[in-house]
Amino acid sequence: MGTSVQVTPLSGVYNENPLSYLVSIDGFNFLIDCGWNDLFDTSLLEPLSRVASSIDAVLLSHPDTLHLGALPYAMKQLGLSAPVYATEPVHRLGLLTMYDQFLSRKQVSDFDLFTLDDIDSAFQNVIRLTYSQNYHLSGKGEGIVIAPHVAGHMLGGSIWRITKDGEDVIYAVDYNHRKERHLNGTVLQSFVRPAVLITDAYHALYTNQTARQQRDKEFLDTISKHLEVGGNVLLPVDTAGRVLELLLILEQHWSQRGFSFPIYFLTYVSSSTIDYVKSFLEWMSDSISKSFETSRDNAFLLRHVTLLINKTDLDNAPPGPKVVLASMASLEAGFAREIFVEWANDPRNLVLFTETGQFGTLARMLQSAPPPKFVKVTMSKRVPLAGEELIAYEEEQNRLKREEALRASLVKEEETKASHGSDDNSSEPMVIDTKTTHDVVGSHGPAYKDILIDGFVPPSSSVAPMFPFYDNTSEWDDFGEIINPDDYVIKDEDMDRGAMHNGGDVDGRLDEATASLMLDTRPSKVISNELIVTVSCSLVKMDYEGRSDGRSIKSMIAHVSPLKLVLVHAIAEATEHLKQHCLNNICPHVYAPQIEETVDVTSDLCAYKVQLSEKLMSNVIFKKLGDSEVAWVDSEVGKTESDMRSLLPMSGAASPHKPVLVGDLKIADFKQFLSSKGVQVEFAGGGALRCGEYVTLRKVGPTGQKGGASGPQQILIEGPLCEDYYKIRDYLYSQFYLL
Amino acid sequence: MASSSASLKRREQPISRDGDQLIVTPLGAGSEVGRSCVYMSFRGKNILFDCGIHPAYSGMAALPYFDEIDPSSIDVLLITHFHIDHAASLPYFLEKTTFNGRVFMTHATKAIYKLLLTDYVKVSKVSVEDMLFDEQDINKSMDKIEVIDFHQTVEVNGIKFWCYTAGHVLGAAMFMVDIAGVRILYTGDYSREEDRHLRAAELPQFSPDICIIESTSGVQLHQSRHIREKRFTDVIHSTVAQGGRVLIPAFALGRAQELLLILDEYWANHPDLHNIPIYYASPLAKKCMAVYQTYILSMNDRIRNQFANSNPFVFKHISPLNSIDDFNDVGPSVVMATPGGLQSGLSRQLFDSWCSDKKNACIIPGYMVEGTLAKTIINEPKEVTLMNGLTAPLNMQVHYISFSAHADYAQTSTFLKELMPPNIILVHGEANEMMRLKQKLFTEFPDGNTKIMTPKNCESVEMYFNSEKLAKTIGRLAGKTPDVGDTVSGILVKKGFTYQIMAPDELHVFSQLSTATVTQRITIPFVGAFGVIKHRLEKIFESVESSTDEESGLPALKVHERVTVKQESEKHISLQWSSDPISDMVSDSIVALILNISREVPKIVVEEEDAVKSEEENGKKVEKVIYALLVSLFGDVKLGENGKLVIRVDGNVAQLDKESGEVESEHSGLKERVRVAFERIQSAVKPIPLSAS
Repeated sequence: MGTSVQVTPLSGVYNENPLSYLVSIDGFNFLIDCGWNDLFDTSLLEPLSRVASSIDAVLLSHPDTLHLGALPYAMKQLGLSAPVYATEPVHRLGLLTMYDQFLSRKQVSDFDLFTLDDIDSAFQNVIRLTYSQNYHLSGKGEGIVIAPHVAGHMLGGSIWRITKDGEDVIYAVDYNHRKERHLNGTVLQSFVRPAVLITDAYHALYTNQTARQQRDKEFLDTISKHLEVGGNVLLPVDTAGRVLELLLILEQHWSQRGFSFPIYFLTYVSSSTIDYVKSFLEWMSDSISKSFETSRDNAFLLRHVTLLINKTDLDNAPPGPKVVLASMASLEAGFAREIFVEWANDPRNLVLFTETGQFGTLARMLQSAPPPKFVKVTMSKRVPLAGEELIAYEEEQNRLKREEALRASLVKEEETKASHGSDDNSSEPMVIDTKTTHDVVGSHGPAYKDILIDGFVPPSSSVAPMFPFYDNTSEWDDFGEIINPDDYVIKDEDMDRGAMHNGGDVDGRLDEATASLMLDTRPSKVISNELIVTVSCSLVKMDYEGRSDGRSIKSMIAHVSPLKLVLVHAIAEATEHLKQHCLNNICPHVYAPQIEETVDVTSDLCAYKVQLSEKLMSNVIFKKLGDSEVAWVDSEVGKTESDMRSLLPMSGAASPHKPVLVGDLKIADFKQFLSSKGVQVEFAGGGALRCGEYVTLRKVGPTGQKGGASGPQQILIEGPLCEDYYKIRDYLYSQFYLL
Repeated sequence: MASSSASLKRREQPISRDGDQLIVTPLGAGSEVGRSCVYMSFRGKNILFDCGIHPAYSGMAALPYFDEIDPSSIDVLLITHFHIDHAASLPYFLEKTTFNGRVFMTHATKAIYKLLLTDYVKVSKVSVEDMLFDEQDINKSMDKIEVIDFHQTVEVNGIKFWCYTAGHVLGAAMFMVDIAGVRILYTGDYSREEDRHLRAAELPQFSPDICIIESTSGVQLHQSRHIREKRFTDVIHSTVAQGGRVLIPAFALGRAQELLLILDEYWANHPDLHNIPIYYASPLAKKCMAVYQTYILSMNDRIRNQFANSNPFVFKHISPLNSIDDFNDVGPSVVMATPGGLQSGLSRQLFDSWCSDKKNACIIPGYMVEGTLAKTIINEPKEVTLMNGLTAPLNMQVHYISFSAHADYAQTSTFLKELMPPNIILVHGEANEMMRLKQKLFTEFPDGNTKIMTPKNCESVEMYFNSEKLAKTIGRLAGKTPDVGDTVSGILVKKGFTYQIMAPDELHVFSQLSTATVTQRITIPFVGAFGVIKHRLEKIFESVESSTDEESGLPALKVHERVTVKQESEKHISLQWSSDPISDMVSDSIVALILNISREVPKIVVEEEDAVKSEEENGKKVEKVIYALLVSLFGDVKLGENGKLVIRVDGNVAQLDKESGEVESEHSGLKERVRVAFERIQSAVKPIPLSAS
């Protein structure tokens, strides 16, 4: 009767690689998360490429590269074509994150894994859900209900609940139980006893989380210390995830202390990010929506932060100490890398990491202890071709054009032949091949026009046939190119105006940048040079990752106490540690599969449905216990008219059953209860409770996690024969229900 | 009519067991428009939809009939949108009644609710005694209101509910409530037509069992949006072209924003009108602009795309007007002013000064509530009464161009046909319109499976829903699927409206509850030989096993396999057992026995004699007790010839065999009752079944 559930990790187990898991429920294949790392290593996606075409639905949990980075590539190259489900912020901020990734790469390399168009088309079909929305799948997935719930890690970040036949499969990674400035804590603890919980062990070994106030104080003190001596502060951040929390902290602190040091938020999409975020108040913490409701004060109307979308603006900013939040957090690309190289050799400067860098990136290297004195950095930039190179390029272009024209005429002939009904096609496979290749490449042309009109309108013509077009040697003419900083019009970010232009102007601004990037058809090339950067600036790392720490993870899992547990996304030690812990304390079925290893977590639960007859129910007296009610039933099985099993009252006398005490006694609570009844109580050694003069009470047996799978509680009460004994026993009984 | 038939049904089935009763009672908006408030009760759960005020009345008279219900029994209160006839009695209900349930509304509704009601309190000119609530109450109510997002499912006390876009105003929602599988849809005000900024109402995914639907527009059909807009702009254009003034009385929020969008666009397209000012006399709307800018996710794609270029809610040709003192009334102008019903305030002041000039025009853009001046002038009377009590001729042209985003007949009937609810309850409509709508809907659903009801205020509609209670047997108990006649015994756990049956030792596995065993150990002072105890125990209890304690090597006794008696030391005896009622009793008697040994040794013999005697006495006593109890239950009980008891109730006879508990009777009800009664009496007089030992 159980629903069959299989979990196959495609990436991100026993290491910190991007997350991507295949969860198949009664044959319906969910791809949960579709992440990539900042190095865009295609080898990571190999497992995904093998199953991509069989996937029926994609669920995204967080708007960052590790959780959704591979989506455009998988849609374009790996044949992933399933509908994607995500919350509105994950969709919107995820899109911006991918834009930022692409633009940062395109600036410095011949990045060709995916294009802006691929990003658009990957995201245009995302089905957007709200938190706790039960979405009933249809077709193949009939009977399956999916719902995102608050994860608390990033804006819109979700834990997913997949329900079929009353059995829950919960996917919860990177959740945070602590309430933050802009986010509510996760609601994971409201789920109890799901059939399967898939969760990460990422922070299982990390327990040293400082209190929020102290952490904030240290954070701000460190920053102001460097600013006051005239240094600059760089915070490498993500595009649209955790950075929001940092912005709020800085904003709040700056208004409180009246600092005048400028703060810059520099990504390719910073202004759009903030404009969208301003309209996502529904998704933020209670305090933020409350302040808006009572005073119409939008928390993301940033007064102290200047939003920049290109580096020149920063260079033109008045000199002096400043705080810059720039992407990418990994320092592998983007403005953060450039700024790091510029600032690293000044000891007054500070590079403040707010999260652990991805494995194998520059950020991770710098976070090692002790930090390296020198790092070797390859800096690339795009420069226009000049002189001989330009001439050579033009000649090459002309030659290509001529060839193309020639081939086009040939193809035309072919086509005419084909249209005359000849089956020459089969004998000319080459022609067909070339055609298909060109369709893909050529589809960019018209699509860009769409972007210029509106960045988010799906390119209607992307699948339309093209004129034969034969330049498949490069994609230059689509994107080309030279980024001449002077081409950017420096636009003052007037915040008040920004507020009026909620959400939209954004596209305009973004487009400007993209447009100059794409429309500038001047030939250019990428040059790289290796630099040795002396790291003399201060390097500090603080935890603003917004994930629950090891202890909370354990108590959270214990609270949820799933029937089966699957652990993913953590280094081997952490995975092993949490696995052992859970095996000992929480549940006997803990799995930590390897990549592409399928674990079957089908519940072995037996169950059948019966109807409770009115006759039986009228004799049942429920006792209320917490939010549920319990009763003992003795019944006889009968049939209803519709041939359904039905429980009827016993015809004979019920055979007696062993009485059951139901309830959960907490010694500390009981102590308070007793003292409220006027009994003298104190804790004696060994967890025993001394009640009155003689009577002692203690819990015996394995002191496992609360309730949990540890079996019934064993309570021992002992004492001499006296009145107190019976009194205390009565109080103890009053804590339980006898069935 | 509906209620009389319902109460008739009730008389026929005095103890209807074929379904649970669901009651829907409008406390307001039943066959009227204004003060929407609908009460619903099913299986012990109580829900209130909306909490409005009647705009045509003031003070307590404007409230819905809250006295009909017990506010403290309400579990959930759901507010559909921010209009005062749907939300304005909320501060009163939250702060001045015993209500302590939870309140939900959407984000946008909550943000505007506060502004709107604060404004309402300021402008309503009533005496202090008549004030239903003040600003403080509103602020306090804000803390209690919880927000719900569209489609988000929330569960409160087993009541599941979620909401759909209703299209009426920003943030308007239709609520779907699910109690134990019975679904109720409350539409509130809704519109199935997409306009300049709002999405059309969604069609719910599931068909509800009951649909409580608004009937404001009755059987009217709306003109298409383009024709309405054209009429609207034509009237304005021609009036101002002739030098007249146009007054548009409107609610501050909701439809007004739509009209302003139309006007601003029209002015932008007609440069010749640029010298004619448009005023919008509502500081409130200005305050709400931030809300309109923020919750763009609740609006349609058109507006979201427009935000890309410039904010459509920043008007280029419309200026705000704070009060009539700032208004320089020279030459033609267009003024949109509140309130919409022309009851008082700026719209009334302007109406009073403009109504006698026939060049002027008044456009009533939405629904007029019965009893307001706007409703009066629509019939074009010759004269009107001014605010100062004088009468004046009504010469200005009055146009009624409905922009009200209420569903018209076509929308309502298509909506209902798609949903096919078996029960339709019409609310929020004038009695006559409602009857017409009801008649017309009857022709649309001729198969007779659809019930349409139009209760008046405080009239209850009763329905019965066959609620099959289904339980899921899980775990060890379900290891083998039972056949007919098998017994199933276990713990029944009810959570919300789901039932599970499980074995007691698996309770902690499948639920959050846990079980416990309490082990008791008690020491009793005893000086004497352990053998004496053993001897005495063997005399009284059937099963006494002796053994030796493994640790100390001292002798121990196990009584009834429950209680272990051990000699702890020379002077102490210890008893250990795990708690349950029978063991507790056994241990108590052991304790008594041990105490008696140490105190009253000589009495042993006497007691023994007593015991024999008392057995007979007990037998008699038991019979007496059984007889007395049966008499008290059934009245006429006699000892029959064959030793059976004959019980007569209302002419039905039952014969009870005291030994076996078998009952013979032709009346099955009586038979069952006697059997159960006898069983309970038996278990009361002989609590310990022998089989237990």
